[in-house]
Amino acid sequence: MTLTDRKWYKSKPIIHESFIQWFLIACAAVSIFITFGIVFILGKESLLFFSEVSIVEFLTSTKWQPMIEEFGVLPLLNSTLITSFIAMLVAAPIGLCVAIYLSEYASDRVRRILKPILEILAGIPTVVYGYFALTFMTPLLRIIFGQNTVDIYNTASAGLVMGILILPLVTSITEDALKAVPYSLREAAYGLGATKLETSISVVVPAAFSGIAAAFILGLSRAVGETMIVALAAGAGPNFTFNPFEAAETLTGYIVRISGGDISYNTVDYNSIFALGLLLFFMTLILNIISRSLVRRFQEVYD
Amino acid sequence: MSNFHDNVSTRFQIGKIWKTIFFIATVLAVLAILMLLVNIINGAFGFVVIENTVQPTELLASGNIDELSEAELIETLEAYLSKGLIRRYNIEEPLNERPKAELMSLVLERIIKPRIVESWNFGPSIINRGMIQDMVAEEYPDAIIEFRAWLNPKFLVTPQASTPELAGIRTAILGSFMIILITIIVAFPISVGAALYLEEYAADNRFTRFIQININNLSGVPSIIYGLLGLAVFVRGMEPITSGTLFGFGDATTANGRTILSAGMTLALLILPIIIINAQEAIRAVPQTLRQAGFGIGATKWQIIWSHVLPNSMDRILTGTILAISRAIGETAPLVVIGASTFIAVDPNNIFSKFTTLPIQIYQWTARPQPEFRHVAAAAILVLLIMLLTMNGFAIYSRNKISRKRDR
Amino acid sequence: MKRIFFLVIAASILTGTVFAGGQQEAKGTDMADDGKFVWIIESEDGILPGVNPLKVEGDIITAGSSTVFPLSEAMAERFKDEGYNFNITVDSIGSGAGFERFTVAGETDISNASRPIKDKEITAAKEIGRDPVEFRVGTDALAVTVPKSNTFVKDVTLEELAMIFTSEKWSDVRAAWPNENILKFIPGTDSGTFDYFVEEVYDKNSAAILGASNLQMSEDDNILVQGISESPYGIGFFGYAYYVENKNVLNVLNIDGVEPNKENVDAAAYPLARPLFIYSDASIMKNKPQVAAFIAYYLTYVNEEITRVGYFPANEDVINGGKDAWLKACEGMY
Repeated sequence: MTLTDRKWYKSKPIIHESFIQWFLIACAAVSIFITFGIVFILGKESLLFFSEVSIVEFLTSTKWQPMIEEFGVLPLLNSTLITSFIAMLVAAPIGLCVAIYLSEYASDRVRRILKPILEILAGIPTVVYGYFALTFMTPLLRIIFGQNTVDIYNTASAGLVMGILILPLVTSITEDALKAVPYSLREAAYGLGATKLETSISVVVPAAFSGIAAAFILGLSRAVGETMIVALAAGAGPNFTFNPFEAAETLTGYIVRISGGDISYNTVDYNSIFALGLLLFFMTLILNIISRSLVRRFQEVYD
Repeated sequence: MSNFHDNVSTRFQIGKIWKTIFFIATVLAVLAILMLLVNIINGAFGFVVIENTVQPTELLASGNIDELSEAELIETLEAYLSKGLIRRYNIEEPLNERPKAELMSLVLERIIKPRIVESWNFGPSIINRGMIQDMVAEEYPDAIIEFRAWLNPKFLVTPQASTPELAGIRTAILGSFMIILITIIVAFPISVGAALYLEEYAADNRFTRFIQININNLSGVPSIIYGLLGLAVFVRGMEPITSGTLFGFGDATTANGRTILSAGMTLALLILPIIIINAQEAIRAVPQTLRQAGFGIGATKWQIIWSHVLPNSMDRILTGTILAISRAIGETAPLVVIGASTFIAVDPNNIFSKFTTLPIQIYQWTARPQPEFRHVAAAAILVLLIMLLTMNGFAIYSRNKISRKRDR
Repeated sequence: MKRIFFLVIAASILTGTVFAGGQQEAKGTDMADDGKFVWIIESEDGILPGVNPLKVEGDIITAGSSTVFPLSEAMAERFKDEGYNFNITVDSIGSGAGFERFTVAGETDISNASRPIKDKEITAAKEIGRDPVEFRVGTDALAVTVPKSNTFVKDVTLEELAMIFTSEKWSDVRAAWPNENILKFIPGTDSGTFDYFVEEVYDKNSAAILGASNLQMSEDDNILVQGISESPYGIGFFGYAYYVENKNVLNVLNIDGVEPNKENVDAAAYPLARPLFIYSDASIMKNKPQVAAFIAYYLTYVNEEITRVGYFPANEDVINGGKDAWLKACEGMY
């Protein structure tokens, strides 16, 4: 595509060309600045935080209460993992089933109706899901399990609704992965006398395995970073508990609560939200990288 | 596989069962969406009990305020309302020059002041209609019961208020709108530029791959992290610019960076990677032959891009941009982190104003314990969803149309 | 391509007009020719000059205590109702954060507080050239509340109160109470209410209450109300106005046998009664007449609004002390 010989039109446009090219490079470089910005800002404030708090205490202590100098991240991390785990319990099996149905069973017409619905569902803002968790899921759980068992704010409700939130994402990537499995593989299985189910389960799904895993991991990463649902429904106090019916604050929930109260600059409180942000950033980054490398591997096999 | 033939029927049986399971899962997923929507509509409409703050019988023995003369109405107003309010009314238009109907409505609005004392969701309102009416008749003998649509035209145009019956979303909608405008102005040109560079200019080297991976990773960073970035960079680091003091806006003593400008730029960073990725796909879909034809007649690279590549990919780029913008409109967490205001009742008048947005109002109303605010939140959610679903629906529809056209 | 150009141009014109609009608004806080406030009218109370909200120009920024928030919000709404046509923001972020914005960042004109300003905050304010002036606006009876469904606790002593917020189970405090977890909902550490409670009940030692189990904290009192009212074994505390607003779902406890009500607050019998304040600064009030106007208006009419909001009027001497402070701060302007 590159034209080596520019003599033919070597006049004014060339200056203007190179100017434009530099402008476009600058545009592309903005994305790098954003990443550096994130790493720099989070890193800088976190350094201030870790100059006062030992990293060992941060990662091992089970109490988080900055006012009285308790800086153990485990309660926050634990509830982030619990809500994400519950969300995956909902989204992974249902997402996989829906994806298999859409890609292997559904007629063209059904697919044409369902896919846009899923896509629109993915566009609903998370604060709306927060409303749903607080006004529907929590009362429902409390009716089923009793008011004394289920706290008004609890991680189960937040996790279940979060599962619904990431369902479209998991479904659509899983379906893409299933769709990408060459038709010849299915025909070979049918040729051997396999039923449709056997073909789907023992041929298509294993063949698309890395794509499906990528979908799950991406879903998990979304769940870990999800904020508004947990801010509204999961509770407002750091609590080291494995009981999903108890209130417990997540990493993101804590960041939102503290910055919503507008804490003073240059206090340990202020720096702590950046340290938590850094932890969150690395968690999601690692998940995203794993997910992407799985997708790449998958593409390499079938491209 | 040894007894291949023996259990063919069992195998098909199992196949059928699983097919049903897959189907049920799909139905469940659709049901979840339905529940979500039903739950919101359920909250946005329903019976309310309205009771008067001051009973008309207190003003007049018969309780029928129609019987009051104009002079008496003015007298009543002056007796019940604050001096300042009367002064304002008189300056706007002297009370004794106003028509009687207007005075009556003032008495009704300001003194009798009907207010909502209890409310129900749509479901119970329909199912337990009789029961509710009996209960209201017993508990609130002076009250009236009516069916209220919390989402009504007045709700859209009134500013925020501290009482649920008067609360509206005017300021929130304007805030959202201004923020998104800034987001578009900042994000759109940069994203399209970056996509053009990556697709048309960049050689396949390490630097390019690095940018590409970087963009992909950015699109997966949780939105709250962008909030922290915005807080540190725009709100604090660039305070003289974002607060407008550098340009002589606002008051230097109290101005701060928690403004519409900061919010708009933060959201711009958030959707930048999304638009870039969409735009790249759009540009990639432009057939190579078009470019070759352009080179063939001696056009420069930029001429080709400007006159052929961009026009041919613009519809897709715009579709992707609409999807990204609708994501930005619904974002809440980053704006809470950079510091949206809780209570703003006056329209934002420039980009250095403090702000609130629709999702932030929804968040705050949802967090309130009074059930009336839940209804208000539901109504605001309906507005937001209608806005977003129209945008998304339009984008998805036009994308499908484009791809069908291209396929042909 | 033309379409996009059109879009961009339309957008920039829009922002342009928005800018221009802003510039016009930014002006207009000028004073009368004689250097006195233009909004002055006949005095309402014989002490402070009367305020005509219609003549008041320029924005006012307030932030601080979530306890004072409903009161300041009510005053702001009345101010607007009577003709003030500019923007007044009331942010509910906690007394501590409010003072932070007022004394360090210098972003606010008025700071709402449910505790007196601390010495180190005064020092900080002086560093940015501000000298905080205190105005007492009312009294709060800190309400300790349980859900309506709670029938076993009606009255506690201060000692029991201290135990409740640090104990695991209700039965640990009084053997007759149920063997259930105490779910505690308390204001965040940045709030004046938290500071006050720790000072009164725990003698300024916050470690015990912050280390308690089943603790939920929020700067947003609405979240506390919702938490308490929906938890059969919940308990929490906040400003009395939030109790009044949610009377139908909450019960308020008597402390040492004293019920929080007007008589007991006036007689200083209720142990958890505390003053509510707003703070500003003389130079701000002089340079921004709208701030002086709003404070004068606030002090003149606060007792007409405070009961409806759910707090208790401060006695006249205290309010008059604030009025004197106003007169001193605005000397020569009225």
